[in-house]
Amino acid sequence: MILIKRLQALPAWLTLTLLGLLLLLALLLGVSFGSTPIPLGTILQILLNGTGVFHFARQWDPSLEVIIWQYRLPGVVGTALVGAALAVAGALFQAILRNPLADPFLIGTSSGAALGAAIAFVLPFDTVYGAFFPLTSLFAFSGAIVTILFVYLLARSGGETPVVTLILAGVVVNAVLVAAQTVLLTLAPHSQFGGIAALFNWLSGGVSVVDWSPVLLVGACILPGIALASCLAGVLDAFGLGEESAAYLGLRVEFYKLVIIAIASFITAAAVSISGLIGFVGLMIPHVMRLLLGPRHRLLLPASAFGGAIFLVLADLLARVVLAPSVLPVGVFTALVGAPFFLFLLRRRKRAYQW
Amino acid sequence: MVANRPSAGQTGALPLIKIENLSFGYSGQSLLYGLEASVQRGEMVGLLGPNGSGKTTLLKLLSGVLRPQQGRILLDGRDLVAWGRRGVARRIAVVPQELQVPFAFTVEQMVALGRTPFIGPFGTRSNKDRQIVREAMQIAEVETLAGRVFNELSGGERQRVIVAMALAQQPRLLLLDEPTSHLDIKYQIEVLELVRRLNRETGVTVIAAMHDLNLAARYFPRLLLFQRGIVADGGPAEVLEPHLLRRVYGITVQVGVMHGAEHLSVVPPGDAAAVNEPEEQAPQVHIIAGGGSGALVMRALADARLAFSAGPLNIGDSDHTLALRLAGEVITEQPFAPVSEVTRQRLRACLQEISLLILCPMPIGPGNLALLEEALAYRLSGGPVLLLLPPVGASEPYSSEELQSHSLLRLLQAQERDYARGEGVRLLLKLSEAGAMPVGSLGEIVEYARRVVSKHETL
Repeated sequence: MILIKRLQALPAWLTLTLLGLLLLLALLLGVSFGSTPIPLGTILQILLNGTGVFHFARQWDPSLEVIIWQYRLPGVVGTALVGAALAVAGALFQAILRNPLADPFLIGTSSGAALGAAIAFVLPFDTVYGAFFPLTSLFAFSGAIVTILFVYLLARSGGETPVVTLILAGVVVNAVLVAAQTVLLTLAPHSQFGGIAALFNWLSGGVSVVDWSPVLLVGACILPGIALASCLAGVLDAFGLGEESAAYLGLRVEFYKLVIIAIASFITAAAVSISGLIGFVGLMIPHVMRLLLGPRHRLLLPASAFGGAIFLVLADLLARVVLAPSVLPVGVFTALVGAPFFLFLLRRRKRAYQW
Repeated sequence: MVANRPSAGQTGALPLIKIENLSFGYSGQSLLYGLEASVQRGEMVGLLGPNGSGKTTLLKLLSGVLRPQQGRILLDGRDLVAWGRRGVARRIAVVPQELQVPFAFTVEQMVALGRTPFIGPFGTRSNKDRQIVREAMQIAEVETLAGRVFNELSGGERQRVIVAMALAQQPRLLLLDEPTSHLDIKYQIEVLELVRRLNRETGVTVIAAMHDLNLAARYFPRLLLFQRGIVADGGPAEVLEPHLLRRVYGITVQVGVMHGAEHLSVVPPGDAAAVNEPEEQAPQVHIIAGGGSGALVMRALADARLAFSAGPLNIGDSDHTLALRLAGEVITEQPFAPVSEVTRQRLRACLQEISLLILCPMPIGPGNLALLEEALAYRLSGGPVLLLLPPVGASEPYSSEELQSHSLLRLLQAQERDYARGEGVRLLLKLSEAGAMPVGSLGEIVEYARRVVSKHETL
């Protein structure tokens, strides 16, 4: 409790710097662990050599450089981006829907992405092995975006999009799309059973990039999205008073609602396209950050980005290490590790949690 | 009335708020119709009226959140729509009934949100903003609560914080929507004292929807009484009139200055049975009017203390507004709408209860022909009907010779006011053939009405 009080008293820049350092540490750990463990010192030296500023004498197997630069780093950075995007999107949805249960998947992104991915898996093109991963990403991304658009238009009437209608429309569309996905998979020929097993793997989540290009592309979607959302912190705070009061404060409520839902959905779709469906991060991290740092979005959004990144990198690390050499779906660990931690924070508070 | 509005008499003083021919309704049902009002700088105005009378809707229109369907609202002489959302929020602040905040915002963070319209989505708070927030907290006396979580405060403290938040907007107009409705009496007084102090010290104009008539009488020098439109506008003594309140709220009350108090008090009757019991005898006279044609008769009957019912009258019709003040019962129809079947049934039911029908010389169109048909049916069933003749300008319009020498239709000006292609003339003729009596003077009508009522009472 005292710890939390002290954390809230820290200046915002210091909190964010601390979180940034923690993220660096998590990234290093993430790169370090794997089928061939690499000492942290070596990683640091290799990475610093890569910047061109430092020149450490090479005392390691040259293949390590390839493993780090071409294989581990893109994976870990991709994981961090996904964690950051999901946490920020969760915070945005919770603020705009004024609902503590909201997460990035509440109003349809998950089922849309899943249906898109299912279509990609069922299509016969997966025989071209190299092409099948980008196809899944593309379809998952498009599926999420199209679904959100559909839900938004469905909920819109008379120039307004009431939040309750939005949530209900999202839940209903979710149900329909899940049904459609089931039908699709039932009708798929049995010869493609391998593809379906891969789909279930995809659905339980896990960042499986082995290349910089998808990471850079997704990063180019997620980072500006997070930056833009952070600029709207004041608007999100005002939405906390309710839409009517936000309007009294001079905000164009429907416009900002659309903008914020668009940003949140866009970064969610970008994240999902390389990670599949990773639950719990988007729901829990914003709550943890609110417990630690208070509800103001100017700090909450960047802190959630760092928190989500740190958390998912560590969960991914555990997923790779615990039953090595087999890799567990990362979603297992976000729930197994995250839930007790969250409950611990929740129970430590003397008064009822107000998020 | 002017005495209650200090600056109303000043020529050329631009009102802070001017409402021009404002109409608004939800899904076709008109709630406010043809509203006209203006509020001067520094005034403190209370809006009264039963639930659903449109006072909250008016506040939303004034805050620019709702847009008028007709007419406009001028703020400093400029249309509210033209000010833009942020422009309005820099001048008008709203204190809602209650604020549900899901997040654990501290008081200071809440008050600081009042600066939102000055900062814009991408800007940051300056030192000046912080200074204004501090001052707002001081004025509302919540600076000692600055670090507390808003949701953990008591109702009265919360309301003061919301007022502080509104003050941080540095508004010229403060709108309050039943600011005390869920507070204990102590906090009600506290919040209203705060608002009055602000009004006196900073000159901020206040418009508040109030549901407590006594608090309204005590704190607001000017009151507007609503019943789908402004029924009365004036000081507490003028507006809190028992007859008017009974008509608008549907409850009998006593109004007076209690011993030792300075302000009017409105007291419901002690006897529960008396609540719904009308204070006068049931009306024996019914008036069908419209377009101002019934004004003189209604005033004359009211002066003679003869109870009457009236209608159907359209909202917005001057006869309707007057009838709400004077008549014992008013049948109301939507603005500009033709007489609906439901309304016609109500009229028929009403005619069964009365002993005299007065038909005023209103314009006749396809929309209200039904009224003449009902009047004819009433006459044919034996009820007495008086046809009021339209005034012709002279002070003593009709002598008995004139009544005999002129043809009835000319006296009734039947052709001039028939917009129903002769149907009106035909029905008026039928009425007169059936024995409806043309009457030219108000005195005669009152005399006749008095006879009917006394005959009814002796029965």
